[in-house]
Amino acid sequence: MLANTRVIKEIPKRVATAKRQNLVLALFAIVLLTIPLGASPYPLTVMVDIGLYSIITMGLIMLMGLAGQISLGHAAFVGCGAYISGILTTKYDFDPWPALFLAALITGGIAAFIGRFMFKLHGLILAGVTLALNLVFYHLVSSLIDLTGGAMGMMSIPPLSLGPFTSQNLFFNYYLIWIIAILLLIFSLNLSDSRPGRALRALNVHAGGSEDAAQVVGVDVTKYKVWVFVLSAVYASLAGSAYAHYTRIIEPGTFMVQLSAMVALMAIIGGRSSPWGAFLGAGLIVGLRQLLRESIPVLVGGLSGSYELIAYGIILVVALLFMPQGLISIVRRAAPRKRAVLDES
Amino acid sequence: MDFSTALQIFFSGLNLGSIYTALGLGFFVVYSVTRVLNLAQGEFVMLGGMLTVSFYTMGIPLPASIALAVVITGLVGAGFYRFIIYPARNASGATKVFLTLGFSFIIEGVALRVWGWEFRILPAFLDTPSIQLWGATIFGQTPWVIGITLLMVIGLFLYFGRTIQGKALRACANEPLGARLMGISIERMALFSFILAAGLGAVVGALITPLTMTSYSMGLPLAAKGLLAAFVGGITRAEGVILGGFIYGMIEAITAGVIPGGYHNAIAPLILVVIFLSRRRGLLVTAGKG
Repeated sequence: MLANTRVIKEIPKRVATAKRQNLVLALFAIVLLTIPLGASPYPLTVMVDIGLYSIITMGLIMLMGLAGQISLGHAAFVGCGAYISGILTTKYDFDPWPALFLAALITGGIAAFIGRFMFKLHGLILAGVTLALNLVFYHLVSSLIDLTGGAMGMMSIPPLSLGPFTSQNLFFNYYLIWIIAILLLIFSLNLSDSRPGRALRALNVHAGGSEDAAQVVGVDVTKYKVWVFVLSAVYASLAGSAYAHYTRIIEPGTFMVQLSAMVALMAIIGGRSSPWGAFLGAGLIVGLRQLLRESIPVLVGGLSGSYELIAYGIILVVALLFMPQGLISIVRRAAPRKRAVLDES
Repeated sequence: MDFSTALQIFFSGLNLGSIYTALGLGFFVVYSVTRVLNLAQGEFVMLGGMLTVSFYTMGIPLPASIALAVVITGLVGAGFYRFIIYPARNASGATKVFLTLGFSFIIEGVALRVWGWEFRILPAFLDTPSIQLWGATIFGQTPWVIGITLLMVIGLFLYFGRTIQGKALRACANEPLGARLMGISIERMALFSFILAAGLGAVVGALITPLTMTSYSMGLPLAAKGLLAAFVGGITRAEGVILGGFIYGMIEAITAGVIPGGYHNAIAPLILVVIFLSRRRGLLVTAGKG
């Protein structure tokens, strides 16, 4: 019950912050959509990466921040989107757009099926099982050689197109991915202030809620958990499909547990309490990656891969020890008025 | 299926089962004492394998190479606990899981720096030749894997059951406050459990390198497999982990024997997940005890 009285108290605060939020959102969209006008190709490719990671991370943040569930297997959903898009377009002559949406639908269905069974599990166990399922996905895709090309991967996946533009055009692709990202951000922000959002927060132990209390006031706990799990899988699938149609080559190794770990890292560093955290986390990590890729060959010589991994690890450990709420908490502290709290402890 | 094929599958299952058991025991040791789900356990295995290969190629005899690898990995485990887990000892379980993930990134990066991305291999211990038995071929390393896993299991049982320190470790797991009141330092026991798990992991790394080779990025996938084995049998009991490990190994060997192609790599863990979902406390953990 405690959780619910808190939610009710938050409502007036939420109305006040909603207006500010809209302003920030509009500014964010305007800045992002005007960036390409003056930019050269290199920063745009980096921004596309940030956009793709942000979409996946946003889904994971909803799962972790809103429902309080850990997934270490989200790369499998990204892979589902990418592979279903790839298979439908190259083997069954689908157009890329319907393939993208169908992939999201199928991936959501898979998540719904798995979720029904999996959310009997709790916390850490769920982390372990999702990690194992990621492994299952990787080996399945590697073995279904006729369908997926096995370890060699799939090639010549057709690009998404709109009129004369295709996602092989960097500008078009930039707009495509960032418009998807901004639309999903708007959806996520609205979701956390909606009835399902409140219900989810009421059952999230990390946000001061309690599953038992939520159940008592009539929240179907498992249903909502599965629901947000499906949603986060759909986000991942959309990013995966967009990636497949953009790079036009996919291979199983891309969707291994390391990607799941990367996305979890971005979610934690950005902050799990708000969808905005996804952009902070993805921006920081991809930005750092590019910085290392530029500077390591010059400063110490050789490839930067090992330094990237070490840097990610150190950042994750330091963030967890000293800034467990993520970058979003710093942004909030800097802002004159705090947004209503729904942070994890 | 003829007899020799069945025998081949059986030995392959024993071999894999020993590996998964040994992997799972590392999770068990840390989890039962500290309730930390250590995703970096796979990195200890990778380190053990890599260090053994390095020392061995320097010309150091294999037993000494393994011993050195175990000692160094144990020290890494100690540092991991002292500088990453200990400062967060009062944090939530989720935070600790992600801390182990962060450490996993660091070790992977260091390994990539030191050893590069190439796969490393060792010869079978003492160059043991393959054995022919009623039409089945047993790779020379297999008896070593099964034998040394057996020794580790016996050692753990004697240690936890017969020594004061082992009993203290168990006390920390079962009743932390009670253990503290009896003058047991939970922090010291936790440190010890990390060293023990790292050492066990390093032995596994040396054991499997002749079979599967070792590369810098194999830690997390190995961790996922070991976790499954531990979950299925019940991560809080050693007998559970052993049972889970051998079930996993046998299922993988049978699916590999029946279905050609790489499908067994996907089907075996999937079956394990299904078993686990239908018996969530673990096969050996009875209600009320988990």
